[in-house]
Parts: sequence; structure tokens; C-alpha cells
Amino acid sequence: MDALSKLQILADAAKYDVSCSSSGSNRSNKKDGLGNANTAGICHSWSDDGRCISLLKILMSNYCIYDCAYCVNRISNDLPRATFTPKEIVDITINFYKRNYIEGLFLSSAVVKSPNHTMEMFLNVVKTLREEENFNGYIHIKAIPGADKTLIDSVGKYVDRMSINIELPTDEGLKMLAPDKNHKDILNPMREIKNEIVKYKEEKKAFRSTPKYVPAGQTTQLIIGATKDSDYRIINLAENLYKGYELKRVYYSAFIPVSQNPLLPTYEKPPLLRENRLYQADWLLRFYGFKADELLDNSNQNFDLLLDPKCDWALRNIHHFPVEINKVDYNMLLRVPGIGVKSALRIASSRRFGKVTFDDLKKMGVVLKRAKYFITCDGKYFGIKSMDSSLIKKNIIGMDESLYSKQLSLFDLNGGILGGERISLSV
Amino acid sequence: MEKELVYLYDGSFEGLLTCVYEIYYRKDDPKKIIPKECNRFSLIEEYIQIDTDTEKFKKVYESIERKISREFLRTVFYIYLSEEEDSGIIILDYIRTGYKFGRDVLNYQTNPHVRAANEVYRRVSYERHRYLGLLRFKMLEGGVLYATIEPDHNIISMLGGHFSQRMSSEYWIIHDVKRNIAVFYNKEQWIIRSLNESIDLRFDENEQSYQELWKTYYKHISIPNRKNLRQKRAYMPTRYWKHLVEEGVQNNGFNKTNLD
Repeated sequence: MDALSKLQILADAAKYDVSCSSSGSNRSNKKDGLGNANTAGICHSWSDDGRCISLLKILMSNYCIYDCAYCVNRISNDLPRATFTPKEIVDITINFYKRNYIEGLFLSSAVVKSPNHTMEMFLNVVKTLREEENFNGYIHIKAIPGADKTLIDSVGKYVDRMSINIELPTDEGLKMLAPDKNHKDILNPMREIKNEIVKYKEEKKAFRSTPKYVPAGQTTQLIIGATKDSDYRIINLAENLYKGYELKRVYYSAFIPVSQNPLLPTYEKPPLLRENRLYQADWLLRFYGFKADELLDNSNQNFDLLLDPKCDWALRNIHHFPVEINKVDYNMLLRVPGIGVKSALRIASSRRFGKVTFDDLKKMGVVLKRAKYFITCDGKYFGIKSMDSSLIKKNIIGMDESLYSKQLSLFDLNGGILGGERISLSV
Repeated sequence: MEKELVYLYDGSFEGLLTCVYEIYYRKDDPKKIIPKECNRFSLIEEYIQIDTDTEKFKKVYESIERKISREFLRTVFYIYLSEEEDSGIIILDYIRTGYKFGRDVLNYQTNPHVRAANEVYRRVSYERHRYLGLLRFKMLEGGVLYATIEPDHNIISMLGGHFSQRMSSEYWIIHDVKRNIAVFYNKEQWIIRSLNESIDLRFDENEQSYQELWKTYYKHISIPNRKNLRQKRAYMPTRYWKHLVEEGVQNNGFNKTNLD
């Protein structure tokens, strides 16, 4: 089979992995070398689904020994199979990179023969790229659960990012849909990689020349809607992963039915709006100082699809509002619906020069149609007469109800707001 | 009727800052500061032509650096590169505000002049960042990599710096076909030269097959159930497609013998 046919099959097989980020590493070029990494990441194109293309995202092989019900590459699925040789991957990566098509390589694979065998194939590719081709662009590799620690560590010395996909948020889900996997096997290597990263950072303090180890950190992916797991369980898991495993990102992927398995739910369309709400909540956890328990709880386990999670939180905690824009501290500014990190920073730095007016807020990028119910500007309030949360909710949702429902349907039809690199969310 | 004052300069950054020097010195309040080649004469305007003076340029440059900040100076340079019609006057107002508030002025987001300057700055830096990804090299016979661009703003010098680090052991040319200038890199340093003749391009024998591989990848990495062309165009406006291998079908280099 020629490289072109393999690329068709193995790009098709890799596309359901959402991650495509090339950020977080500052690897620099070497003498006679090719490439470097850009800390902010660079998008090189956008595909028809509106997702950013930053890396050459392919599977090494889609011959899998496992039979996970949610996965397109499961052994029982009848589809064309292919395996790249390491040489082919190296050649395509280098030539794409020189033409500035990509920031680097994101290599994943079905489990071929055994986890160790698959990891050894990865090692072969990354070693060739770094040592023979002197390639210093971005490399993201999947760590295969069940592979030996020494193999994972050897790969870690060459790459910028490693990830292990948890896929199903709970062990029960895994038992039902992926009988060959369990959470322990997934979380163990994640913890080991984290420990190695911590060790590297310590050594780096003592010896500047310490070779890099996964400088852009770890990520993982959760499939949304293949099992009955609630949003509350999902964001709790995410919170634990950020805290306990120091993950850089948790990606959420709306389940796209790839088989007729009776254990799987049937959707006409992937649950993209739910995926969007989870991304918004994830942002709130990472950049807005929220805790999972503030956003949802046992009596309230799923996000309101009509309202973004921050608005929802603010309405349930209406006694904190309205806040005075010119006085309130930065952490509380971040909690006002319609104010993002950028506009909060702008407000905080501008306040030193004089009073910030309602008009200024608009020009700073604050979404006033949400924010106005929760703020005062120099004592003046621009919302409705009462601070009754159900009335405000009605106003926010009903403000332009026809428009809102139109947006929802567009959303369902056209897909979410997910890009690999640049995700803009206004929460 | 009093005429509106217009300052004309030679189009260089040095010339622009020389204007700023003269305006301060003469206590003028011009309505426009524009490159003289962009000027269309009008009866209600009065023109002052400024010759570039390196000494005066240096005075303004160094005083901004000292009294405001390097970051501020960089913003001024980006606004100059925007080549937008009112960029001269935006720079003048911005510098005036800068001298008034000093180092802190970058944080003064509610000031209209700071805001106007930041908006232009953002457009230029956003386009620069976009092109770091959207630029496409094609390999010519002999291994030289060649790219064509048509940016809104004059960002080619900023691309030169990026690629001289990333592609330090390749020969490459980035050609701004809108402004007829190009960056040439010879594995040691890069220079900007004017380049207006159409070049006869002969491609490396493998160029087409890598383009085919890329187009195939591009098609297959998209998830059909999530198709969202509106979002794609929001991130990657169609004006950039012409020079993309994956979208610019008409212009992949193989249907034409030379460039427009």
C-alpha cells in the first residue's frame, strides 16, 4: 500500500481525538536542525469541521487487539486497516514541516500486538526524528496503558507532550464498553509521568543541562454521552485530574456513534451543546477560580443547556450581586457573567486611572446583555428593577428567545465551538 | 477658512518619527500624517513635507524608550506596519498620551487614544500570528523553499525573524506579492529586497506528491458529523485561501508557469 492510501486510512482513524494543541513547549532549534516549538502554539489550517490543524495527527496503525464498543478501530469492526512504517512517518513529518503545513507530529496508535510492542514502535519514530533528522518541532505521543514504565520514560525524553485517554469517565462505563481496560491501568502511567515531570523540574533547578522530559505536560480526553455519567461526575473527575495529576488539559469529545452496539445510546446528532457547556465549566475551573462543587451538586447533576455555567452559578448565588465594578476585587470580577479574563484584567488596570463607566465596559469587550444584571457602575444599576433570580433568568434566556432558540439549533446542526488551539469561549 | 494641516513623509518609520519631532517642535496639530505617495491633493488641505532626518528620528525613538517603555515603542512600530490610512495620526495621539502618563499608559484601557492604538496593534499582531501558520512553502528545484503571501499589513519582516530560527538550515524566500518585496534567507542571515518581476518557478520533482499528501490529510482529518464551515471561515477568512495548498486549488503552482 502506498503512503497516500495509508494516510487516508490512518488520518480517518485518528480524527476523533480532539487534541491538536501545539502549545506549552519552548524547545528551540539546534545547529543544523529543523524546527522549534512556539510556547503559544500555532494553528496552520482549519478543516471543514472548524477545528484547528496544528499537528500531523495520525495513527501509526489501526490494527487493534481490543474491542472497545465506542471506538471505530475496535477489532470487530470491518474497515480498511493499515500500518505506517517509521520511515514513512518520519518522511511525511519532515516534508510537511518544511513546507510549514504543521507544527509537528501527534502520533497515536491502536494497540498492535501488545502495549509494549506499540510503545517500541513509537520510540523508534521519535528517536529517528530527534536524533537522525535533528527535528526540533513539536511531538505529542500517546502513552499506551499497560506498557512498561521504562519504555514510557524513554519516549518521554524525546517528546513535548504525552497523553493517555481516559475516554469513559467511570470504571462502570469502562467495564461495560471497554472490557479490556480499567481506570487503574490508565491512571497509573499518568501518575508515573507526572512524577517524572516533577523530578525533571527539580533536577533542572540543580543542573541547567538536564534533558527535557515532556515539557508541555500531559492531557487526556473524555467521551461525552457514550455512558450515563452525569456532568457532575465528569467535572469532578476533571478537577481531580488537574489537581492530582497536574494535567495541562482535559478534552471533552461529544460521542459520535461509530457502531450499532446495543450497549451504546443512539443519537441523531452528537451532544455538542453539552460538550460546549463542559468546556465552559472546564474554563471556570482552570482560569476563574471556581470549584466543581460550586458549579453542580448531587441534587443538580447536569448543566442547564439554556444557560452557561457561570450565569447559572450567579443566579443561584444572587445574594452576592450586584457588585460595583469600580470597587469589587479581581477574583469577584471574574465571577460576573459576561466578564472574561481579558476584560477583568482591563477593568482592573483601568480603574487606577479613573472611574470605569458603563460605556467603557462595552468597549472593553464585556458582554453587557448578561453582565448588566449583576453589576453597578459608579452606583448606577442597568438591569431590571428586582434582583429576583428567576426574573433575571427569564430576561437572559427570553431576551431574544427566537434568536436564542435559533442559535441552539444552528449549534446542533453545525457542531460546537471546539478548535484544537484557539478556543474562544465567552463565559 | 482655515486649511487642514497634513504632514507628508517618505513612508519610512524613520520619516514618521521625524514628523513627530517636527510637530512637537513647531507645536502643530495636523489632521493627517501620511506617506507622500499615498497623498491625493485637496484644496482644503495645507501640506508640510518632512525630509527624514536620522538624528531627529533617534531623538524621538530614544526618548520614547526612556520615558515610556520598549513595549510602547513596539506597539508604535506595529501600528506603523499596519499601513492603515489613519495610522500616522493614531501614532501621534498615542505618543502624546504616552508622554503624559509615562510607563503606565499601556494599562490605560479607557483612554480613547490608547484604545485606538491597541486596536490597530491587535490587528497587526493577529495577522502576524496567523501567517506563522498559514504561510505555505513550496520546494523549488535545488531545494529552495518559496512562499507567496498577500497580507493586509506589512508584516514580512516579522515573518523573517520567525522562520530564520525555525528553518535555520534551509534556503528560503518569502514573497509579498502585494507589496513586491521579499525576504531572502541564505542559512546565515535574512534580508528584505524588492522583488517585482514574476519569477519562473521550477518545482522539485517531489513537490506535487507532498501537496497531494497534504490535501488528502486535510480532507480526511475533518469529522463529517461536526461540519461547520462558518466557524472555519471565522478562524481562517477566505482572503487567506488563495495561497494555501489545501484550499487555493487554482494557485497550487502547477497550473501556471509563473506567478501573477
